[in-house]
Amino acid sequence: MRVCCVLTNKMRTISGGTRPWTNRPVLHTKCTKTAYTGSGKAPEHLQEPDQDARKPGFAAAYELHTDLRPDGRRGPADEESFATLLRRSPLVQMGPARDRIVTGRIFKVVGDDLYVDFGAKFHCVCRRPPEGPDAGRYQRGARVRLRLEDLELTARFLGAATDTTLLEAEATLLGLLDGKDAAKLKK
Amino acid sequence: MAAGFVTKAFRGLRWPRLPAALVSCSGHAYGTAAAAETAALPTLHESTDDTENLLRLSLNQPDFFRLSEIFNLKDLFNARVHLGHKKGCRHRLMEPYLFGSRLDVDIIDLEQTVEHLRLALNFTAHVAFCGGVILFVSRRRQFSHLVESMAKECGEYAHTRYWQGGLLTNAHIQYGTGVRLPDLVVFLSTLNNVFQQHVAVRDAAKMNIPTVGVVDSNCNPSLITYPVPGNDDTPAAMELYCRLFKMTINRAKDKRKQLELLRGLGSSAGPL
Repeated sequence: MRVCCVLTNKMRTISGGTRPWTNRPVLHTKCTKTAYTGSGKAPEHLQEPDQDARKPGFAAAYELHTDLRPDGRRGPADEESFATLLRRSPLVQMGPARDRIVTGRIFKVVGDDLYVDFGAKFHCVCRRPPEGPDAGRYQRGARVRLRLEDLELTARFLGAATDTTLLEAEATLLGLLDGKDAAKLKK
Repeated sequence: MAAGFVTKAFRGLRWPRLPAALVSCSGHAYGTAAAAETAALPTLHESTDDTENLLRLSLNQPDFFRLSEIFNLKDLFNARVHLGHKKGCRHRLMEPYLFGSRLDVDIIDLEQTVEHLRLALNFTAHVAFCGGVILFVSRRRQFSHLVESMAKECGEYAHTRYWQGGLLTNAHIQYGTGVRLPDLVVFLSTLNNVFQQHVAVRDAAKMNIPTVGVVDSNCNPSLITYPVPGNDDTPAAMELYCRLFKMTINRAKDKRKQLELLRGLGSSAGPL
């Protein structure tokens, strides 16, 4: 009897909370604290984490299974705070940028200059390597390996109040991304 | 060339349809953003009761256009909106909006950005709902085409070229009398190419035009009515902002058309 009540309760909150049949992003709990509520089902959604902590046995296992839905959507674990997202992001996990090997993608080629975006705030500009077997493969969309020097080139000049920034990162081009090197890379 | 472009913008679709009464109130002072919304209602000389009811209806609910659905914190994070400049480039007044500094790189607090962006988009939607003229300004050459095509797609205006000094403050002399100034200026980057604040920020404040602006960690947010702390250098972030503003404005305009049709007003009511 108690199990049946739990099941119906869970099914109601899940259908109210995640709405897998729509394409709209789900309102997060942080957002419901303000006046902006996208749907009227916010209170049920907010109650979910408290009830989960106290449910024993089958109910907890049911909740765990509903998180692993075949369409890839996750349940309450999807609403991570900004601090958690930041802490787990590759940029923070990487640590200091100097001498880190990353992979980037060329998004613009101007003559011999390759503009490579590697997932940070700025892109880096590298010179195309001189004549070699792979010289023709450095085109727009190619993935390359880089050794980072700096995420943003800034310097404080005499008499200036703030740093002058070049709006670019600095990295050395190591080569094209081959399959065998993919396992060693962070990004 | 720039003057010709802006003239065409200001004397575009909306100018021929404006009655003389509205032209005369285009220079009215709007002290705050809230006053701008409410002042639009009583100063209409030719509005009917239906139009006023429509406009008041939109102000009854906090999220009339349901803009909280179109983005969330994860979208902002994936678009790298939280990345700021280095610590040495930081503007003192941006410190409240920063989450912290990681290895000398400033990180913008996305929890605050979500709130600010929601307010900004809501205000933009209300201005578009009331038939206001929105001008997108950005001096980043990398994103100039993106901003211009986005403005074209949502039926609003953009200015991504050299800003002539008297464009807003001297408009009646430079472009003739009775020019309608924008009702909202949206800055997708508040700096110009020499890392100084864009002249339009100060000029819009002088002309009592509310502004929405994306402020990075090296920008001054003080003169902007609805600042949105966020990254303005990465293409992913700029594409996200453009997409959000376009969706907001289109949503607001569609809602206006839908409500007008429902009430049987037809096309005779005009933009305001």
